[in-house]
Amino acid sequence: MEPVEQSNDVALDIIITNVVSVFRTRCHLNLRTIGLEGNNVIYKPEVGKVLMKLRKPRITASIWSSGKIICTGATSEDEAKLGARRLARCLQKIGFKVRFSDFKVVNVLAVCSMPFQIRLIEFTKNNRPIASYEPEIHPAASYRIKNLRATVQVFSTGNITVTGPNVQNVALAVEYIYPLLLECQKTLV
Amino acid sequence: MESIRELFLEEGVEERVLEDLRQLWESKVLQSKAVEGFAKDSINPSNFVLQLPANFSQTLQKPTASVVIPAGQRAQSFTAKASHTGTIATFSLPPGVTYPVHIPAGVTLQTASGHLYKVNVPVMVTQAPNQRVSAQVNKPLEEQRNMTTTITHNIPAQMTGLCPQTLPVPQASQPVLPSLHQSQLPQHPNIPLDQSSQPPVPVTPEPSINYQSSQSPLESPSEFTLDGIEFSPQPVDMSASSPLSTQLPVGLQGDSGNAQVLEFGASAQEMVERAVKAEEEAAAMASTNDTMSLLPDLERTPDSALKLEMELLRDYNFNELASIVQLDGTCDSSSEAGEEEQEQDEEDQGAVGENEFLGIINAEALKALQGAGATTDTSVSSCSDVDEADVEEVEEEDPLNSGDDVSEQDIPEIFDTENVIVCQYDKIHRSKNRWKFYLKDGIMCYSGKDYVFSKAVGEAEW
Repeated sequence: MEPVEQSNDVALDIIITNVVSVFRTRCHLNLRTIGLEGNNVIYKPEVGKVLMKLRKPRITASIWSSGKIICTGATSEDEAKLGARRLARCLQKIGFKVRFSDFKVVNVLAVCSMPFQIRLIEFTKNNRPIASYEPEIHPAASYRIKNLRATVQVFSTGNITVTGPNVQNVALAVEYIYPLLLECQKTLV
Repeated sequence: MESIRELFLEEGVEERVLEDLRQLWESKVLQSKAVEGFAKDSINPSNFVLQLPANFSQTLQKPTASVVIPAGQRAQSFTAKASHTGTIATFSLPPGVTYPVHIPAGVTLQTASGHLYKVNVPVMVTQAPNQRVSAQVNKPLEEQRNMTTTITHNIPAQMTGLCPQTLPVPQASQPVLPSLHQSQLPQHPNIPLDQSSQPPVPVTPEPSINYQSSQSPLESPSEFTLDGIEFSPQPVDMSASSPLSTQLPVGLQGDSGNAQVLEFGASAQEMVERAVKAEEEAAAMASTNDTMSLLPDLERTPDSALKLEMELLRDYNFNELASIVQLDGTCDSSSEAGEEEQEQDEEDQGAVGENEFLGIINAEALKALQGAGATTDTSVSSCSDVDEADVEEVEEEDPLNSGDDVSEQDIPEIFDTENVIVCQYDKIHRSKNRWKFYLKDGIMCYSGKDYVFSKAVGEAEW
């Protein structure tokens, strides 16, 4: 008998929707100068940061005066890095002695759609301590994968969202949870 | 009151409002018993308004027009109408009234200058004493008298002038006259607003009236106790009117500007009189109306008009100076400066918020400017070619030397339009990449044409 091959790669489309990264400019930044002279900037003095939006890699960066910059909105890790570099280049052109240092992707958000619906209560019961489900608070069951440092939110529709430190972990998390979801799929019975 | 009435009618304000205000003011005045025993001198042959106390006939209260009392009428005419109570009738004597005029007790008279004289006892208003007194005083200040008289003359017929009664002129009035005239300009602030000011109050209108075309000398040395009680902000008004005094002589002395000044003075007098007539609100309304009626003039020199008015008010020692405060607001002379300041502040404050939008909107337009003073945004991309050579490239773990590779921002940023909007913002809103602008008070240059707007709403996608 042919062993039932369980393909490790689920033929699921994992769509990365957001990549969050940080980097430092290693120099103090004058937010007011950036707000006045920068292109496509939103100065928020009440919070103490400047938002700069880039078009090419659609990213939005929060710039603090300490020189720390958080870059959000990228759809891939490479794009995140490219956008961050462009951002640093913009600041450099404004006149600050910017150094592109300590670039790190801190969060990746991906969504995936299962071809089946899921019985969340059963799923939660099967994965008691790891999964938590509070329908009054949130309609999704939350499943934390410790070793991957990833969190999967499972919706009864079969959609799941995965957040992890990098894209690889996210992909691994999807693969990890797929069989668990398969057990609890809502079949038409 | 008449002019107010007309203005009210023009604006659609209910006649009743005017009447109510007048009644209210009159009742307050009577309640305060401020009007007592005014000594009245000669009568102003021009129109003057008789404010009958509440106990007089209400028939006098005709919303339409003032009741003209023929000169020959005596107290009977008034008493006949004293059937109503609680209402105050205001009517003006025709200019043809010949003195003496008998005024029954309880009538409140108001001179053209706006002074109120409460007639507690039946009095006869004649001209004779005025001529004497006024002639003495007017000589030194003939010019000003001419101004004021002309002003009063220009005042519409509804201007109420009160001919002072022929009661014995208080001796203090005469010495007060010269002192008043002399001290008119510089010393007005010093003149106490209380009873001591009362004699000067009637004095000033007297010379002004003296030079009227009708040449009916008017003296008004009668006391004017109304002011002291009724209006508290006298010191304020006096101080406020002090600048006016300094300016008034300047304006008055100029022949060319006399007409304009006179008009302002007329308006001021009108406003003053109305303030006397009605409550302060009424006075404010009147002032607004007057200002509106004299809008062309006021627009020219609102500040001077205001100051002239204040000057006149001060000359007359009016407690209606309280109305000056309101007139200030209505004339909007000071608000102009305030607006400018506000605009500057708002523009400065909005600069931060606006700059980003300006940058987004005019990014390409500003590219070539490279941070020129007018525009706060400088297109970094446009400066890339110029700045790349200038910007230092720091070596580090990941050198940003690749300014060429990294900065590809120029591509989408080619606008090259000079369409500029300079305005204030009410609200700027953004959702993701959808922007909504709620702007106000702006000037824009679009397609080479200039536009002005008080409100503008815009939407844009970034």
